[in-house]
Amino acid sequence: MKRILAVLMVLVLVMGAFAGCGGATEEEETDALTVGFIYVGPASDGGFSEAQDNGRQALEDHFKEKVKTLKVESVAEESQAVKNAAINLMDQGATVIVATSFGFMNPIEELAKEYTDIKFLHFSGNKMNDTNFGNYFGAMEQPRYLSGIIAGMTTKSNKLGYVAAFPYTELIIGINAFTLGAQSVNPDVEVKVIYTQNWHDPAQEKAAAEALLDQGCDVIAQHCDTAGPQIAAETANAFAIGYNMDSSSAAPGAYLTAPVWNHGAYYIEQIQKIMDGTWAPESYYGTMADGYVQLAPMTENVSAEAKAKVEEVQAKIESGEFNVFSAGDKDVLYNDGSVMIPAGTSLDRDAIWGISNPDSAMVTLVKGATGQ
Amino acid sequence: MKQEIAIQMRDISKTFGDVKANEDVNLTVYEGEVHALLGENGAGKSTLMNMLSGIYTPDSGSISIHGKQVHFTSPKDSIALGIGMIHQHFKLVEVLSAKENIILGEKGGFFTKGKELSKKIRQISDHYGLDIDPEKKVYEMSVGEKQTLEIIKVLYRGAKILIMDEPTAVLTPQEIKRLFQIIRNMRDKGCAVVIITHKLNEVMEISDRITVLRKGKSVETVETSKVEVPNLIEMMVGKKVSLSIEKKNIENKRVLLEVDNLRVINQEKKNALDEVTFSLYSGEILGVAGVAGSGQKELCETLAGLVKSDKGRIFFEGDNIVGKTPRDIIQLGIRMGFIPEDRLGMGLVGTMDIVHNIILKDYQTQPGFFLKREDSTAKANEIVERLDIQTPSIYTEVKKLSGGNIQKVLLGREIDSEPKVLITAYAVRGLDIGASYKIYDLLNEQKEKGVGVLFIGEDLDVLMELCDRVMVLCNGKITGIVNTDEVTKEEVGLLMTGGSLEKEAAHVKSK
Amino acid sequence: MLKVNKRAELPKDREAIIRVGAILCSIVCAGIVLAVMGFNPIQVFREIILGAFGTQMRIQQTVVKAIPLVVTSLGILVAFKMKFWNIGGEGQIMMGAFGAALVALNLPSTLPMPVMLLCMAIVAIVFGGIWAFIPAYFKAKFNTNETIFTLMMNYIAIKWVTYLQFGPWKDPASQGFPRIATFSDNAVMPKLFGIHIGWIIALALVAIIYVFINHTKKGYEITVVGESLETARYAGMNINSIIITAMLISGGLCGLTGMIQASAIEKTLTANISNNYGFTAIITTWLSRLSAPIILVVCIVFAGLLQGGAYLQIAMQVPASVADMIQGIILFFVLGSEFFLQYKVSFAKSEKTTIKEVA
Repeated sequence: MKRILAVLMVLVLVMGAFAGCGGATEEEETDALTVGFIYVGPASDGGFSEAQDNGRQALEDHFKEKVKTLKVESVAEESQAVKNAAINLMDQGATVIVATSFGFMNPIEELAKEYTDIKFLHFSGNKMNDTNFGNYFGAMEQPRYLSGIIAGMTTKSNKLGYVAAFPYTELIIGINAFTLGAQSVNPDVEVKVIYTQNWHDPAQEKAAAEALLDQGCDVIAQHCDTAGPQIAAETANAFAIGYNMDSSSAAPGAYLTAPVWNHGAYYIEQIQKIMDGTWAPESYYGTMADGYVQLAPMTENVSAEAKAKVEEVQAKIESGEFNVFSAGDKDVLYNDGSVMIPAGTSLDRDAIWGISNPDSAMVTLVKGATGQ
Repeated sequence: MKQEIAIQMRDISKTFGDVKANEDVNLTVYEGEVHALLGENGAGKSTLMNMLSGIYTPDSGSISIHGKQVHFTSPKDSIALGIGMIHQHFKLVEVLSAKENIILGEKGGFFTKGKELSKKIRQISDHYGLDIDPEKKVYEMSVGEKQTLEIIKVLYRGAKILIMDEPTAVLTPQEIKRLFQIIRNMRDKGCAVVIITHKLNEVMEISDRITVLRKGKSVETVETSKVEVPNLIEMMVGKKVSLSIEKKNIENKRVLLEVDNLRVINQEKKNALDEVTFSLYSGEILGVAGVAGSGQKELCETLAGLVKSDKGRIFFEGDNIVGKTPRDIIQLGIRMGFIPEDRLGMGLVGTMDIVHNIILKDYQTQPGFFLKREDSTAKANEIVERLDIQTPSIYTEVKKLSGGNIQKVLLGREIDSEPKVLITAYAVRGLDIGASYKIYDLLNEQKEKGVGVLFIGEDLDVLMELCDRVMVLCNGKITGIVNTDEVTKEEVGLLMTGGSLEKEAAHVKSK
Repeated sequence: MLKVNKRAELPKDREAIIRVGAILCSIVCAGIVLAVMGFNPIQVFREIILGAFGTQMRIQQTVVKAIPLVVTSLGILVAFKMKFWNIGGEGQIMMGAFGAALVALNLPSTLPMPVMLLCMAIVAIVFGGIWAFIPAYFKAKFNTNETIFTLMMNYIAIKWVTYLQFGPWKDPASQGFPRIATFSDNAVMPKLFGIHIGWIIALALVAIIYVFINHTKKGYEITVVGESLETARYAGMNINSIIITAMLISGGLCGLTGMIQASAIEKTLTANISNNYGFTAIITTWLSRLSAPIILVVCIVFAGLLQGGAYLQIAMQVPASVADMIQGIILFFVLGSEFFLQYKVSFAKSEKTTIKEVA
């Protein structure tokens, strides 16, 4: 036992030597505002986290030396990991923490209570406070609806595939918007959904897409973080719609377009307010009109007819003339037959998210879409 | 006959870590002689022979075979020069026949024509007076036959120099006689035979010359006809040792343990013990003889409650103890010390010190949750002192002690608990002569105190000398219980192989 | 040709030299790799150390990471002492956390905190213990291989909790996101000196397990069974009962880890709650040579390495994989040195047999 203690002593001494001899490189103190980002996946995942990281880059590019950004990648959606990442970021001088995944919400809420001088921005959540904890999200249903139009006009089998991570509200909204968009141009269309129960799993996402293709789907959309479904679609000579960021290079033969995030716009706005001292927590919901959510440029694979239709609807959405969750002269139904949107009405943000009334939360799929 | 030198080993040294296994050892063996390599355990006999057979390479010194200096790097080199080693543990494939085992590992042996091979084997057998059926499967063979097969195997490979490591350890007296005849035949045909052993009687009987090793050094090489056993012992041990076991007859014996028609079925569903009936008296040493694996272990374990009997009763002082837990039996005063082949592992924990090994039998009677060491520490000191155990301290790991001292710790612990019945199995296994006699003295001391000692032994000479009676086991059955004063060693040997004796009624008489 | 032989016993100073040498080699080797990758190795090591122990906040983070490692390692120790290779720490942690969640989510949130926490701890210990009892029972009765058995039990536990998380226990208030409801405040362990009171539990357990193994009859029995099963049998020990008792303790401690993590850290049950502690603890237990006090030291060093690695990622903006790689290199050398402590590798002379005429 004494031997082992001796060995440990040596280890400590060696460590001490390292700690001592590098003293010259103490981090330089600057006036820059330090913003820490926490990602659920690798910053170069080609999807969700990369879209966030592009926003971070845009922020840095915008403010130059006035803002310093730090990031922690691949943080599990668990308290311990999230808190450790956030605390380490604060320890490094971060005064603004951007937590970019829904599963980070509860630990971030706790941290906001504990560290009142730090500002927290949380993506996709529904919690906030009055002092230092805000959330942000976007009307992704808008570009999703547009991508649905393209899918509906591209399909020949009238079967659309949709690879989704989890069956929860954010994704259900997207699936419903996509389905409604497709049905608006092609009433016979049917959407099949497979849940992978995982945000980031190339193999599983690809396998799910292959299963959908086997069932006759010829356009694959996705709400997960890798290009797996697009590659599967290309192999099967089908079409694919991406997500998060423009990813035309992964499967150029299949890729149509993608509903994408433009986080940079939001970050720049928020950080500017923080610098100006005018910041207050808000629940930001960026729209296409704000430029926060977008449809990536449509490729050659999209027919001219579809392009024209998309441009027409997009203009109405941006002008506020058209709400993607609205019913015409007929009720929009859930797939169990109950009414989702009564005829002649439309749903506002709270209704879509069920924020004010949990019962109306869009927890089931619209008629025409089936999930497994 | 003694002109040609077969083996010449000069100034051989070999060290393993800090241990000098061999130091400047010299050995000369002539063609046509049986040369005994004698020494106590750890004297360096096996190391020396392993260098001769190419398993180890000497650190320094030279080896010459038939006058040519050689340098072996593997056993192959040694075999090529006609050296064959027969190990204590046979290296045979059970499911193959004798013939197949012989050609196993030979280059191209697979295609050797059967007839030719059989003819060659017969030639070798006739030449050396060996007797074997080439078609017989190894698993059908007796130990003696297996050994014969091993010998043929090395002869088939052209061996002119044979090294035999403790060849008699597993044999019955009758088989030993046969083996010696084979060895003599080989000698007469001009082979050089080296026998490693520590049994003095055998050395005197079979060898022409003897080289004695002690603590890694060669002490002396002598002609067998010119020495007596006591000289040899002195050479082995390095000092004069008085070797006599005093067999006292204790009066007022009473029955302590009565075993009645015991049967134990082992894991292979065979009868490990069957129809075992005997009594153990106070103040006697009852020896158990038998070829290895005749049921000795099962007998010990059954008496100690470690193995369930399938039939029969065991009475201890009148109470049937069948079905009692090992712990209960220990508490009744039946103690067992079983020395397995590696010495440790059945009675002692090698990595624990003497104190903790003594606690092993004491702690169960301690009250409470915590382990109390004080009494056991005192006891350890007492045992170390009384039995003259050589140890740096009572806190030394037991595995670091020498074999004799390990065995003393084990027996000391069992004796210290003042048992009524003491079962010892292979109590002197691997011990040198001096240490063995100390153990015998200890057992005699117990006997005088009125303890009933069941002594499971390997060496018939010792059994005859030490025990009042000897019970012979063969294939799990008792083939006889004899008074040692009334029979010869050969007669006991006959019982070991399943024979019967006229005089066999000794146990009835002594009742 | 290389020859590998088992060593008898090394002198103590040689042993220490090998161990220290291994650590130095690992640092040099990791340094070379870092330099090749374009990092300043000295700065990297410095950041790791500063990141682990540099400020009070960092020390707290290190301690928080060390707590579950210590408690789990103690559990693994009890099993390993018996040479029962409990690879099932993960599953036992998981079931312990499940037990704790079962209590926390179902008992009224008005219960006083100590009562609630005590109930959670007891149920967690029982559940973890049961999870270890199953393989122990099969080992005792049918001599099954505990390594495979405990490993497989991990997967069952993980899948069970995943099922709960995605199915029946999914929190209706989480918009369908697969997570289990957060515990009420009375089911969350309080803090002392900025760290949840798990650290007191861990310290107490180190002392308790030390005393248990070295100064109790049960601990002695466990040691004897581990050192020599046959000796234990010959000494009349009831081996099956010892195996089962030890595994109940081992699994119980792992289960307690699950409770601590669920209560103090996650405040809920998640399918990732074991966070590889069950496996990491095998390494720390092994490195500590089955000694409870040394486990404490090893686990703190290990947690420091983890925290230092996490800090490094931010401080130098290096990918997370760099920190993992350094940990891997250090472990490789330290564990590798164990091999050299037990075996001797030598070059056998491969020269041809030479037969010389004697002059």
